[in-house]
Amino acid sequence: MIDVELLLQRSEFQLNTKFSVPSRGVTAVFGPSGCGKTTLLRAIAGIEPDAVGSLEVNGQHWQTPHERLPVEARRVGLVFQHPSLFPHLTVEENLLYGRKRLEKATNPYDLKELILILGIEELLNRHPDSLSGGELQRVALGRALLAEPKLLLMDEPLSMLDQASRETLIQLLENFLQQLDIPIFYVTHSSEEVARLADNLVLLSRGDVTACGPTATVLASLDSELSRSESAFSVLQGEISSKELPGLLCIECSDGIDLKVPTSESMVAKHYPLGRAVRLRIRARDVSICLERPQQSSILNILPAVIAEISTSSDSGSRLIRLDIAGMHVLSKISEYSVQQLGLHAKQVVFAQIKSASLV
Amino acid sequence: MLQHSDITALFITLRLAATTTLILLVVGTPIAWWLANTRSRLRSPIEAIIALPLVLPPTVLGFYLLLAFSPDSPLGGAVASLGLPSLAFSFTGLVLGSVIYSMPFVVQPLQNSFVSLGKRPLEVAATLGASTFDRFISVVLPLSKMGYLTAAVLGFAHTLGEFGVVLMIGGNIPGETQVLSIAIYDHVEALEYSQAHWLAGGLLISSFLVLLMTYGMNRRIHLMKTS
Repeated sequence: MIDVELLLQRSEFQLNTKFSVPSRGVTAVFGPSGCGKTTLLRAIAGIEPDAVGSLEVNGQHWQTPHERLPVEARRVGLVFQHPSLFPHLTVEENLLYGRKRLEKATNPYDLKELILILGIEELLNRHPDSLSGGELQRVALGRALLAEPKLLLMDEPLSMLDQASRETLIQLLENFLQQLDIPIFYVTHSSEEVARLADNLVLLSRGDVTACGPTATVLASLDSELSRSESAFSVLQGEISSKELPGLLCIECSDGIDLKVPTSESMVAKHYPLGRAVRLRIRARDVSICLERPQQSSILNILPAVIAEISTSSDSGSRLIRLDIAGMHVLSKISEYSVQQLGLHAKQVVFAQIKSASLV
Repeated sequence: MLQHSDITALFITLRLAATTTLILLVVGTPIAWWLANTRSRLRSPIEAIIALPLVLPPTVLGFYLLLAFSPDSPLGGAVASLGLPSLAFSFTGLVLGSVIYSMPFVVQPLQNSFVSLGKRPLEVAATLGASTFDRFISVVLPLSKMGYLTAAVLGFAHTLGEFGVVLMIGGNIPGETQVLSIAIYDHVEALEYSQAHWLAGGLLISSFLVLLMTYGMNRRIHLMKTS
């Protein structure tokens, strides 16, 4: 486990966090800008001298109220938002900077293999000032991992990149981060990155942790700041079960529940073999509710559901409803008016119309 | 042409400037580092003290140093009780005076260079397991090359041109404490204008060449960075 209880007092800002996350997988720290995400990450790394409290990582005390382990003894890998390679070293020297300083290298990552995975084999002899933003971040990630960190911290690593390199890098991260044997904290304000990468989710708002837990659970709670916002969404996991329908992928998310997702032929051939595990992101705004199964609808996914919970308060005329679809939680945001018109209530059996679900 | 005594003065001057610069680079580094990174209230007073030689007439500095070197003062007394020769009118005394006199010319470029480095490279190095000293050697020094070059050139050149302090604490002992600037003064006093020309012209041209080289190198490194 990773137990965090860190406080930091600034003149106009206070960070006050207490949460625990499992010691494996990606934990996304999500929140609007200025909520203290980066400060929290820096405090965990040990480079915020004013942070007090305690921090325990897999049984090792990194910080207690009386003592703190110096940064260089913590073994954290840190990938900053702004690429920060050493400008006086070549890419290869950058990669090896941390590894050379290990007392005893156990080499969980094979250098050559890692270089191939990150796609940086052509860059080794170049200097950082001749690299693109995406290349810099890939080298920075490699450098952090080669130092064999016990915890990997990533601070919005994609936010400075253009759309194309962001897509390339996020695909790499999707496959790669899951294979790592260490816990990862991933700071972001992008719901897409949460949906694609996060196993656990920590919601941060004005320096306070408002929710923490497995991504699906946190997303399904009705009272979090995120679910009350316009961008509320759910994440479903499934695997590709059929590619027979033209232009559609069938994704089995739960026993006998298939979701159909439109996709281009080229994408199907390239990235989505049968049986591949995928994640779907469904915006709460795209889920509507019918009392009877609509016939002859253009909507692809109409599924029987049970209303698990309806938010008590309305936000700008909308209500948030948590639907249980064969054990999966899906949020639906509909108007207050509709809730009353249809007489919706908890435990009611309804049909969920999912207007669009995107593969992430 | 140059007299024998002029050549001696030239070598004393070069030795003085080189020794002073070397000492200042060693002593100035921790001072500049502290000034660049501290949040202490002492920062401003210390900065002001180090900058004093920029504004004080050298004779003021020389006067107080002379007092400090006298056997009645704590410093002079300590030197005497250790059985060492007096600092006044000695080469060692000159070095000590020059170190103080040229301190801002070394500390300030180093401090600027450390500040412009920012915290980021050091934070990265720390997370990668580098200790404080290791970070300094492997990150700060190589990234502060230009700062060190500027500091060394300015420190050297400023010591080369020293006059007032040397006159006050070193006197004018040929072969011991007579430096170029004072030799020039002596020639002019004695109306030996041709000797004065040789020395003054030589100093002018060599100073210009050194600065030209420094700025040229500065520009090259800058171009390399932006290319």
